[in-house]
Amino acid sequence: MHGHVDQATFLYQISGFLGYYYLALAAMNGIAALAIWRGGRAKTLFRVGPVVFTNALLWTVVAFFFLLMAPLAMSGSPELMKWVSMPDSFKDAADAVMGPVLYSAGSFIILVILFIFRRFFVKTWVAWLALNLAFLFMGLSMTDPDFAAIVTKPDNVPIVGLIFLLGFFTWLATAKAVKNDERIERGEPPLEAVDNEKILVWPDLVYTELICMIALTAVLLLWGIALQAPLEEPASSVKTPNPSKAPWYFLGLQEMLVYYDPWMAGVVLPSIVIVGLMAIPYLDFNRKGNGYYTINERKFAYLVFQFGFLVLWVTLIVMGTFLRGPNWNFFGFYETWDAHKVVPMNNVDLSEYFWIRWLGMAMPKAPEGSGAGMEFLYILLREAPGILLLLGYFTLVPPALVLYSKFFRGLYRHMGLIRYMVMANLLLLMGLLPIKMVCRWSFDLKYFIAIKEYFLNF
Amino acid sequence: MPDKDKMSVEEILAACRRMDGGGSAKSSGDQPTEGDASAQSQGASSAGATEAPATPPPAGPKKKPSEMSVEEILAAARAEKRGGAAAPQESAESSEAASESAQPAAPAAPAKKPSEMSVAEILAAARAEKAKSQASKPAAAAKPKVAPAAKPKPKPKPAAKPASTTSGPLDTASILAAARKPTKRGPVSKEEAARAGKETPAARTAPKVPPMPQKPEFLKPAAKKRESAETRRGFFASLTGIAFGSAMAVGFVSLAVTHLLWVLGFARYMFPNILIEPPSKFKVGFPDVIGPGQVVTKFKARFGVWIVRNEYEGVDQIYALRSVCTHLGCTPNWLEAEQKFKCPCHGSGFYKSGINFEGPAPRPLERYAIRIADDGQLEVDKSRKFQQELGQWSDPQSYVPV
Repeated sequence: MHGHVDQATFLYQISGFLGYYYLALAAMNGIAALAIWRGGRAKTLFRVGPVVFTNALLWTVVAFFFLLMAPLAMSGSPELMKWVSMPDSFKDAADAVMGPVLYSAGSFIILVILFIFRRFFVKTWVAWLALNLAFLFMGLSMTDPDFAAIVTKPDNVPIVGLIFLLGFFTWLATAKAVKNDERIERGEPPLEAVDNEKILVWPDLVYTELICMIALTAVLLLWGIALQAPLEEPASSVKTPNPSKAPWYFLGLQEMLVYYDPWMAGVVLPSIVIVGLMAIPYLDFNRKGNGYYTINERKFAYLVFQFGFLVLWVTLIVMGTFLRGPNWNFFGFYETWDAHKVVPMNNVDLSEYFWIRWLGMAMPKAPEGSGAGMEFLYILLREAPGILLLLGYFTLVPPALVLYSKFFRGLYRHMGLIRYMVMANLLLLMGLLPIKMVCRWSFDLKYFIAIKEYFLNF
Repeated sequence: MPDKDKMSVEEILAACRRMDGGGSAKSSGDQPTEGDASAQSQGASSAGATEAPATPPPAGPKKKPSEMSVEEILAAARAEKRGGAAAPQESAESSEAASESAQPAAPAAPAKKPSEMSVAEILAAARAEKAKSQASKPAAAAKPKVAPAAKPKPKPKPAAKPASTTSGPLDTASILAAARKPTKRGPVSKEEAARAGKETPAARTAPKVPPMPQKPEFLKPAAKKRESAETRRGFFASLTGIAFGSAMAVGFVSLAVTHLLWVLGFARYMFPNILIEPPSKFKVGFPDVIGPGQVVTKFKARFGVWIVRNEYEGVDQIYALRSVCTHLGCTPNWLEAEQKFKCPCHGSGFYKSGINFEGPAPRPLERYAIRIADDGQLEVDKSRKFQQELGQWSDPQSYVPV
């Protein structure tokens, strides 16, 4: 898709953007250093002789570092831009190890680490450092034509923005929650409860809203001018673009469709997601955390939500946007989108595993000339392992959780049988997506239940 | 621990009234003494001190600016401003300072750090200072150093509780009772005002209005001949009137008619008056031009079929595969190098035979009916489909043996 531009031309084209990009990063860090210094928040990190090394000085040094990179990037010559590019060895290694398994498991583990050590990660300097590193990673990777093609595609620019915005807001909410949790531990009320008797509306809130409104309009205008609308060739019922991607906000759903039947992943599971969200007020009996940020007081609700949102929705959107190429194959960040990439994916249904591979016999099949009812019974027999497995999953796991987990026992006592079973089954349905993904990756499982005669697969 | 920073409106009011009463009593009363002043200061600080401990919380004695609430910031700002304004005045007076009398009064409120005072406390403290400066003119105001001296004290002096106030949450009735005392300030009743010699506006007399003139006979409505709704005919008549006569009925009927027209229009919209489908039967050339193992893709764009010559179940045959993925209906592509059909939407893959082998597609591609027409060409009939999972591919109409 970008084979017609050779590397030197590409570098020349991207150099202008990259130069200003690094200048902007330098300005960002310089302003931060200035704000720290003028605001009197400079803290001494260490001293070298007479020189006092403060955090303001640190960010100034970072700003100068970016300032040095800017002319290198702006030069447009391959020899100089080599210094502001990701080394090829790193790119090759990243492409080699990157796959759907590593990506999904890795982002999950990273989120878990971020959660466990949240007291550390909510510190301002840590977040600022992470932001700088993310920007640096993007800048260094931009000299790769494949990476640049994916990231700067007009379709995908909002997703890049989404990653940073989502990171910022998640960080902000976590920082507030951690602060409140610390206050609550000390026996103080949360910050939001301290001065909640009045809100400064005029002019504070109104001016804020006005500024936000103007800024948003300006961004939309600039966006509309700078990025071309991602229009494609006229639609044709017999020609599907390759890769064919849903709107970005549905890419998580499209990723789900890879693992499930369209009837399940497109209709049933999204409906259950909506119904489950509607059921939250009836399932949640925890009265704490109302009107203020907290994690410790609502750990279960927080974790379930963040798992569903960050892991099952956002990381899948990012994966669908940047890492799914032609034929819906997985491509690394720096990999060329080759429509002929061969990925072996021979998928097998559970019934085939059970009858043919484990029992070594033919799949049960109704004798010739039998009626529809008899055929249906044989189909049920054929799919019995999957049906029993899923029935057991939904009926036996909730009581098992009650028996073996103190936490779920408490939930059960609080909620009663029906409410508990509804909640547990919603949770289990939610867990079924990653379970299915793992099964697909690890032993090529296609469907637990495959009644293709009636278009009923799960 | 209850909300130490917050006071109910009730408590703030009570504190203010106490201050008001105390201040006025003092200005009209006798010389201020130390005890009086301390009581005064107690009154000032009791707003915060009685309800919540005035000591800073043990765990967080020093608050970072970022952790201060708006209330606290405001309080701090006011406290600073007031302190700055008061300082020179006090130092001017400090030459004749009798610190003994001033000491208890001044530090009580400022003993707390400004950042930890509630608005109520600040208000109370402000009033206390005002009252103090009124009352203790002859004596002296605090030395500037007195206040800092009191600061390190861990706790304010134990309160000699004023008789009039009680600690803890205040009873509304008691506040009301206090409010009804004759000496209170503020709005007074008319009798009180009269007693105080103030004029009250004379009671307003009702204005004299001339009687309405009698309505002339011709203006009176003619007695309607109304059928009572209690008779059966009357009932139906009134029902008809409601259904068709009232403006409301007209509105609803027209609304219903409009909706009906919309629904009908929508139903018509769902069946556009066009025919874009190519004929369901079409010829795709002679069978002998198709080589062994060849997949003809040139009919995909127009008709949505692949013509495939392949060996299936031991028979070399030509068949027409429908180019619609059985997963979600995208159009797969034939990849010659990999010898497979591959769907771009979710990655389903099919062998040349049409059997699904990778990705989420649950069943094989479908076949269309194919036959040799009278002129010897292959003819595909899209009106009939054959599905492998239903065992229909063994139907001789689903393929042409070579």
